[in-house]
Amino acid sequence: MGLLYGLIAVGLALIFGLMDVTNFAHGEFLMIAMYASFFLFAFFAIDPLLSAPLVAAAMFVFGAVVYLLIVRFAMRAKANAGMVQIFTTFGLAIVMRGLAQLFFTPDYRSIPQSWLGGKTVSIAGIFLPEPQLVGALVSIAAFAGLYFFIHRTDFGRALEATREDPGAVALVGIDKNRVFAFGWGLGAALVGLAGAIMAVFFYIYPDVGASFALIAYVTVALGGFGSVFGAFAGGIIVGLVEAVTALMLPPSLKSVGIYAVYLLVVFIRPRGLFGSM
Amino acid sequence: MTITRRDVLLGATAAAALLPLAARAQTSEVVIGATYPLSGAGAQVGVDAQRAFETAIDIINNDQDFDLPLAKGVGLPGLGGAKIRMVYADHQGDPQKGRAEAERLITQEKVCAVLGSYQSAVAVTVSQICERYQVPFLSADNSSPSLHRRGLKYYFRASPHDEMFSTAMFDFLDAMKKKGAKANTLALFHEDTIFGTDSANAQTKLATERGYKIVADIKYRANSPSLSAEVQQLKAANADVLLPSSYTTDGILLVKTMAELGYKPNAILAQAAGFSEKALYDAVGDKLEGAITRGSFSLDLAAKRPMVGKINDLFKAKSGKDLNDNTSRQFMAMIVIADAINRAKSTDGEKIRDAMAATDIPGEQTIMPWKRVKFDDMGQNNDADPVLLQYLGGKFVTIFPAQAAVAEAVWPMK
Amino acid sequence: MDKNFAARRRRDLIIAAVLAALAALAPLFVKNVYIQNILVLTLMYAALSQSWNILSGYCGQISLGHALYFGIGAYTTELLFTKFGVLPWFGMLAGGGIAAVIAMGLGYPFFRLRGHYFVIATIVIAEIGLLLFQNWEWAGAALGITIPVRGDSWLKFQFMRSKLPYFYFALALCCLAWFVTWWLEDSKWGFWWRAVKDNPEAAESLGVVVFNSKMGAAAVSAFLVAIGGAFYAQFLAYIDPESVMGFQFSLLMALPAVLGGIGTLWGPVLGAAILIPMTELTRSYIGGSGRGVDLIVYGTLIVLISLALPQGLVSLFSRSKAKGATR
Repeated sequence: MGLLYGLIAVGLALIFGLMDVTNFAHGEFLMIAMYASFFLFAFFAIDPLLSAPLVAAAMFVFGAVVYLLIVRFAMRAKANAGMVQIFTTFGLAIVMRGLAQLFFTPDYRSIPQSWLGGKTVSIAGIFLPEPQLVGALVSIAAFAGLYFFIHRTDFGRALEATREDPGAVALVGIDKNRVFAFGWGLGAALVGLAGAIMAVFFYIYPDVGASFALIAYVTVALGGFGSVFGAFAGGIIVGLVEAVTALMLPPSLKSVGIYAVYLLVVFIRPRGLFGSM
Repeated sequence: MTITRRDVLLGATAAAALLPLAARAQTSEVVIGATYPLSGAGAQVGVDAQRAFETAIDIINNDQDFDLPLAKGVGLPGLGGAKIRMVYADHQGDPQKGRAEAERLITQEKVCAVLGSYQSAVAVTVSQICERYQVPFLSADNSSPSLHRRGLKYYFRASPHDEMFSTAMFDFLDAMKKKGAKANTLALFHEDTIFGTDSANAQTKLATERGYKIVADIKYRANSPSLSAEVQQLKAANADVLLPSSYTTDGILLVKTMAELGYKPNAILAQAAGFSEKALYDAVGDKLEGAITRGSFSLDLAAKRPMVGKINDLFKAKSGKDLNDNTSRQFMAMIVIADAINRAKSTDGEKIRDAMAATDIPGEQTIMPWKRVKFDDMGQNNDADPVLLQYLGGKFVTIFPAQAAVAEAVWPMK
Repeated sequence: MDKNFAARRRRDLIIAAVLAALAALAPLFVKNVYIQNILVLTLMYAALSQSWNILSGYCGQISLGHALYFGIGAYTTELLFTKFGVLPWFGMLAGGGIAAVIAMGLGYPFFRLRGHYFVIATIVIAEIGLLLFQNWEWAGAALGITIPVRGDSWLKFQFMRSKLPYFYFALALCCLAWFVTWWLEDSKWGFWWRAVKDNPEAAESLGVVVFNSKMGAAAVSAFLVAIGGAFYAQFLAYIDPESVMGFQFSLLMALPAVLGGIGTLWGPVLGAAILIPMTELTRSYIGGSGRGVDLIVYGTLIVLISLALPQGLVSLFSRSKAKGATR
């Protein structure tokens, strides 16, 4: 489960962590992605595993468009930039929920049959459900890919440079908006991947994102903003802590453990475990 | 001509005779309010409820040949054929909003009764407001037993509450045990809301009284992103019977997680909610062959009472779904309140309340397996017999109590 | 400059007094209980947002966890009332006191955190509070607490149908929060906060003093919000953890200030005056459709206002005034 939290958080790590833009609509991005893979399954009988790249591609376009149409302007705000970002994306989240309810109806959806759904691998007496297993693998791949991308490609460096000093990069001829639109697209595409995997074993309805959003924020912050590896580690820690707390306390309190660990970590290391910001 | 005393008296009598006519002419429409979650997490239920009320209103307002109160003839005869109009209000599952909306319905929309509300927490505040304005509140689908025990005069509930449901569940377990089924240990699995808490309290009490052993009592956070840790504990406890009290979302996740972690109890005996929603069976029906849920409604009744099937067709035409536990109760709530307004011959809250208190509808004139609709002095209908339904071959089959059953229970579940 | 400042402050005080007087007369004209209900909520959120603004706006410590203090106020009052028969008036003060102490206790480690780390920490702590109350049997857990309402009583601060007492209490709370803000603006604390916001590094040399002033802000802010929570509990006569400690309250306290103008004296009032009626009316008149249109309208407005007026609606006034001055 921890790696899945990581997978959901990885897109946020890019947008929230690397570009320093608050995105309160992250859960709703996930919701849209889950609906996308649901409808691909319902109408074209494409298994979520196959449709994952399609969903990711569609989410890439969606993320870039959201950036160009809305977030770009939020970042331009001269005053209170942080608050403007929070509330613009928060408003966006509400609109997305409303639109989902309008077009998709509030009915609970779910993909009943898929290649992975409900199958389990048993290794040495420990049950590992296949969807989670695949999710974990995808998660590791996504993190590795993103890590490589940020640290080894020109574009990744451009992204980081743009965040640190938009003025300077403009001088070298990098268009800030293009870089960031690409970054948002990529972040959304990663959420798309997460959504496609999640759709296999989770239910889908307009408010589904809310359950995951806070955990994703905590995961990213626990690992430290600006660190891809941190988000990865954060995901694993959150998953472990959740499992351990559920054993020690009544399960309804299991999130308390996650939150307490977050507080503990930032009190000791105010920038998260591996944060650079 | 001089006006005599007699003339004045005559005039007064004539005016008095005319008054009810005038009053009747004014009330050609009776407005009833309903407050439901129409956006947010419970929106699906709210939207389905609208369809259920519309179906009932169709039957009341138009001439239909059903053996239900008010089906024949147009509108409410007691109010000169007045038709019913519904006003819906969205409370989004928030007690404050429910309160504000109830107040708006009563003071702005001039509703003469309020129906609601799905979430029990909202029913608490809505019924308080109704009490203050002396307008009857009829709980269509709230099953929390604490609701009718607050000494409210204007609170009514025609359907069973969780203690009645749980009693039926334990009666069934007793009967199965007599037949030699293995059902000694129980695992409770309930959400941390009013519904989950009340349900678990009732079940714990009954289990102790009747000598069952609860080996796991797991309270979880509603709408959790993951239930793996919870299911691991259920699996470790390995009870004979699992008793979940969950809404649709957590229900789906519970069943999926159970399948993934390879946990399968002898029987699942659910406190309805999510387990009577079609969405849950669409999602995970294949893993629930043989699951049992309590219910207040069963389509099997159509065999004995053909009108149930016809009304289900009417509802299906509107919503594309079969009547279920919730929508059937909502449908009946509309019929019960309309019947009371009709007998009250008035839209005055106090008169409707008195008429409600005098309600006596025989079970055959409902679409439910109930004995009758008759309220005790706390506003609860104690003759609303619950049923237990087993999910077999893609549909629900009534298995308990004996007089309503159409099949034997399959035990253990597949 | 100083003269202008003093003149502006005097003008603000006069405007506030006139507005409060006008508001106090409003019930003479508004007899409709539904509208009265909206007015009560508007005033309450104005007061809450004003209190939130002290810590988050003036001090720049953005908290999205004030629902914690709101819930503590509500729970302290009602637990004392239903379990020990303590009148809500005293319970309210006790709740405020407890909230203030907790705010200071949390402030000690929290103020070391910066930016997003701080915001997330506040969300998380409120969420912990919610979960604890949800599982605390003695405090009613998920069942919450129903406050028995037995007729009108000033002593118990409960009224069957009349909204007027609630209205005047909310108005008084709103005025109090406004006045505290007004007073703080010109205090030593206010001066330090401005310094911190303008230049965090320079302010670090002030060290301890600034830290103490932030603690003060947290305490005052929490105290006022807890009073608001106690009021809300009395108004609703029923509380459960979700409905007094949910994340939505933290947001609803922040939104008016942000839309109206964060860190400004008039922002929260202005924001609440527009936001709350809008929320209530869209839900009541469009929400009944069950199709989510109300959410779309509400969300779109928030996006548009935040984008078009990053400094809040207040900037509309100052802008037009600035134009007037140059002419």
